[in-house]
Amino acid sequence: MQPKILKGRTIVEGHCKAQALVSTKPISFLGGVDPADGKIIEKHHDLFGICVKDKVLCFPHGHGSTVGSYVLYSLAKKGLAPKAIVNQTADPVVVVGAIIANVPMIDQIDIKQIRTGDTVEVDACKGLAKILKRKEN
Amino acid sequence: MYLTREEERTLNGENGWANQTCMKILVRLGELFHAEKLIPITSAHVSGISYKTLGDAPIEYLKALADADAKVKVKATLNPQSLDPTYLTGKLPKDLKQKQLEILKQFNRMGLTESLTCTPYYLSKTKQGSHMAWAESSAVVYSNSVLGAWTNREGGPSALAAAIIGKTPEYGIHKPENRQPNIQVNLRGKLQNETDFGILGIHLGKLLRDKIPTINELKDAPRDSLKQLSAAIATTGMTNMFHFTPTSERKKIERLNVELKDLKHTKEELSTASDRKPDLVFLGCPHCSVNEMKKIAQSVRGKRVKHGIEFWVCTSCHVREKTQDCAEEIERSGGHVLTGVCTVVSWTEKLGIKTIMTNSAKTAYYAPTLSKAEAILAPTRECLKTAVEG
Repeated sequence: MQPKILKGRTIVEGHCKAQALVSTKPISFLGGVDPADGKIIEKHHDLFGICVKDKVLCFPHGHGSTVGSYVLYSLAKKGLAPKAIVNQTADPVVVVGAIIANVPMIDQIDIKQIRTGDTVEVDACKGLAKILKRKEN
Repeated sequence: MYLTREEERTLNGENGWANQTCMKILVRLGELFHAEKLIPITSAHVSGISYKTLGDAPIEYLKALADADAKVKVKATLNPQSLDPTYLTGKLPKDLKQKQLEILKQFNRMGLTESLTCTPYYLSKTKQGSHMAWAESSAVVYSNSVLGAWTNREGGPSALAAAIIGKTPEYGIHKPENRQPNIQVNLRGKLQNETDFGILGIHLGKLLRDKIPTINELKDAPRDSLKQLSAAIATTGMTNMFHFTPTSERKKIERLNVELKDLKHTKEELSTASDRKPDLVFLGCPHCSVNEMKKIAQSVRGKRVKHGIEFWVCTSCHVREKTQDCAEEIERSGGHVLTGVCTVVSWTEKLGIKTIMTNSAKTAYYAPTLSKAEAILAPTRECLKTAVEG
């Protein structure tokens, strides 16, 4: 397929190619993601029980305590962080987390265009998300 | 965003990883909120100190910063921790104390003062019109509204970054045009005590989101009551400041009426306890002022805290030192003056506390979720009466 290119804004530079994990709900890293195994533990979340490790994690925006920034750092140190973060609207908690954890991050992306399982290349330096391959049904 | 040459160098890593990381945080946040430049700050206040709320995740980051020789460039204070050095330390498991000490150690290495209070403004005078980077929401609102010192509502990590760089991005409340009221609150009725101010805050916070209210009828309000309003309005909303003296703003702004029955309803929502018998009577959220310590001591003089009830008064070391006689009076009555801690960030549930009576609407709001306890919200006078009479 011809890659579908979504243009957004650079938050943290970097480059990666990985499978997308897409949520329609905001994520709180404090209390919402287990720092021990990288799984989403917020009940009633659409990604409940799923691990964020090595994914292009797409969600609208963060919410909750600023301690959440440290959780992202802790995940990165354990090798459990997402490969990249793609947000609709960046918020301070996730931005600070991505900076200290050094996870490439872009925002102002229409994440509804991306589906879980799609192969996505994130060129955070240019603020781009490229959907290279759709998930096979 | 415009950066000076020195700031550019720091951003490029010429002044080490710690400074680079902190500069990146400030610059990215600045860009996010359309700041044009960084401005110097006079102080920083960092939240996220309690091991209970932090857990293990931040220790590595704080240690990495300290290992990379990060040092604060301005006076930087710390929010309360999860236990006090004497009473709660003796009652809680040792490993919790060890973890808490580990966190404090990293902050100490970076040069933050071990103030451990949510009321850093009692430690030293904040200069009117000075720019700061504070992260405790109750102190942010109090500072902007009552003290006239300017600070955005920082998070723990961004306040720490600001402390290490000595600057903050100029956006939001740092700009005079963003400090103007945009909603007129008409309070129909008189607030009776500091607890009523807290209840008003909880009610307004839910309705205002990030609007800046000007509230009539509060011109002569005592500062301790405005402190309760500040803490509560920040608990349920994003409001960074309120006006309580008539402002010169002539523009027509939105209006909001608040009736006493609204406040009565909010109070009932906050008072979740069905049983009127508390396990703990707690005063000191936000931390007590010198004036509050004096009032409490006066009230319990010659009395005895009832058997089976814990009575805690929380404040900073600094205020306790200034009111040593009062603290001793409270302790003679059987109460505990706990420094550097409060119920919201400590483990009351581990001590078997199921019902907390407090004068603080903020504490009552958080009791069911953070302390797994029911709340009884009542003015100081009633709290003190219950402490000694049951």
